[in-house]
Amino acid sequence: MSAEPHAMERPQGPAEAAARRVLADARELQGVFLRTLYWTAKGRREPGEVARQCFEVGYRSAFFLSVTMGFIGMILVFQSGLQLLRVVPDLTLLGATFLELLVRDLGPTIAAMMLATRVGAGIAAEIGSMVVTEQVDALRMCGVDPVDHLVVPRFIASVIMTAALVMFSGLVSFAAGGATAWFVFDVQPLTYINFSLLDRGDLITGLLKCVAYGAAIPIVSGWCGLTTRGGSEGVGSATTSAVVNSSLAVIMLDLVISGAGFVVFV
Amino acid sequence: MIEVTKVWKRFAAPVLRDVTLTVPTGCLYGLIGPGAAGKSVLLKCLAGLLRPELGSVRVFGQAIEALDEVSLQAVRNRVGMLFQNNALFDHLTVAENIAFPLRRRGITDEAEIASRVADRLRAVSLPGFEQRLPGGLSGGQKKRVGVARATVTRAEVVLYDEPAAGLDPVTSQKIFDLLRREQQEAGATVVMVSSDIDRLLTVTDRVGMMLDGALIFDGTTAEAHGSLHPVVKQFVHGEVDGPL
Repeated sequence: MSAEPHAMERPQGPAEAAARRVLADARELQGVFLRTLYWTAKGRREPGEVARQCFEVGYRSAFFLSVTMGFIGMILVFQSGLQLLRVVPDLTLLGATFLELLVRDLGPTIAAMMLATRVGAGIAAEIGSMVVTEQVDALRMCGVDPVDHLVVPRFIASVIMTAALVMFSGLVSFAAGGATAWFVFDVQPLTYINFSLLDRGDLITGLLKCVAYGAAIPIVSGWCGLTTRGGSEGVGSATTSAVVNSSLAVIMLDLVISGAGFVVFV
Repeated sequence: MIEVTKVWKRFAAPVLRDVTLTVPTGCLYGLIGPGAAGKSVLLKCLAGLLRPELGSVRVFGQAIEALDEVSLQAVRNRVGMLFQNNALFDHLTVAENIAFPLRRRGITDEAEIASRVADRLRAVSLPGFEQRLPGGLSGGQKKRVGVARATVTRAEVVLYDEPAAGLDPVTSQKIFDLLRREQQEAGATVVMVSSDIDRLLTVTDRVGMMLDGALIFDGTTAEAHGSLHPVVKQFVHGEVDGPL
């Protein structure tokens, strides 16, 4: 009679393998999140590294984000104006409504989705290629936590620059919407620029979203990069995962923060 | 001393199967075996870069699978490692690459760092290469920079993964001689994985052979040469006919 095979030799079924993978992924993501917070508080930064990442995340995304948000502002004001005219022939609150929507929700969320594609993909590709060439293992052998060295500078830069970019691109979007309102619906700029609907709750909710999205994108993308497996195919797959998961994180955070904002401020 | 006891590691399938071995202090241990036998995985388990699912890996008397990342770092500070594809940091110069582990261990005296980098570059016959970038080096030069970085901290345990992969026979022999000389001078415990059996066996004290994740032989270099185990015999003597 043959000997019983060791428990480790037992092949895993697809469901068991998938469950183990999900658990391992959740554990890894939690680890990256906690270590990012820990090293942000405790770690030593290489001089200029955060500034370099601010340049990468902020300056290099500014044009792309401004153009996108500008067009979105034009489209939204145009469509909102058309819909409003069907219901009430009064567009005096067009700018005020759009501004409230922009500050509370659309500005941070759309800008963060755009950043997730540009910044998230870049972070995952850079870290992923370091993983497959064993540079991340080399960092660990040199006494460096890769999260401290690779994720934390991007995390700090992303939190700062997401807020700055959202404000700047939001301004561009509002201005582009104003131009559309003026030329298409003859809404004068002084009527369009109306802060009457904007309150403390909108500002706090919008700012919270900026910080949460700015934190989530590098953490999720860094996790995707650090869990890269295989060669160049693995880097490609990590990059795709970073964009998908960062966008998903933004949407989920949007729901949570909007819900909390509604409960607290309305 | 390194002690590995009944270690199992699996990814989709088991890659280490019930591996038990001991590497005495000051020993140069060669790990041989065909491709995908689990040699590099075992080496990464010794460095704490991978954690076994079952079993124990003790380095300096500490069970490293039980340590958290912070405690593990204290162990890794006493271990050097050369990676299969060198893993040099592309954006750093040769000198910065070699100095990197020193700086991260808190050495801030620039004169001491420069002196130790220059000493390592002399040891690997690359003086004058300080300001070169890894992208501009040949395969052999990258290996030697990797050796310099792995040994700059005067680690008590040094792990080498395929130190001669892709090198011509002369450079390969030079690398093995260099590693043996380094090990003897530092008195370090060395575990070396290599497919270049002929040259590896000229420098090792003990040899282990892995096959399909299991350690099928563990003994002195002389015992490996004289082994009657059909797989070990075929592999060590490079015979075409046999069970492999």
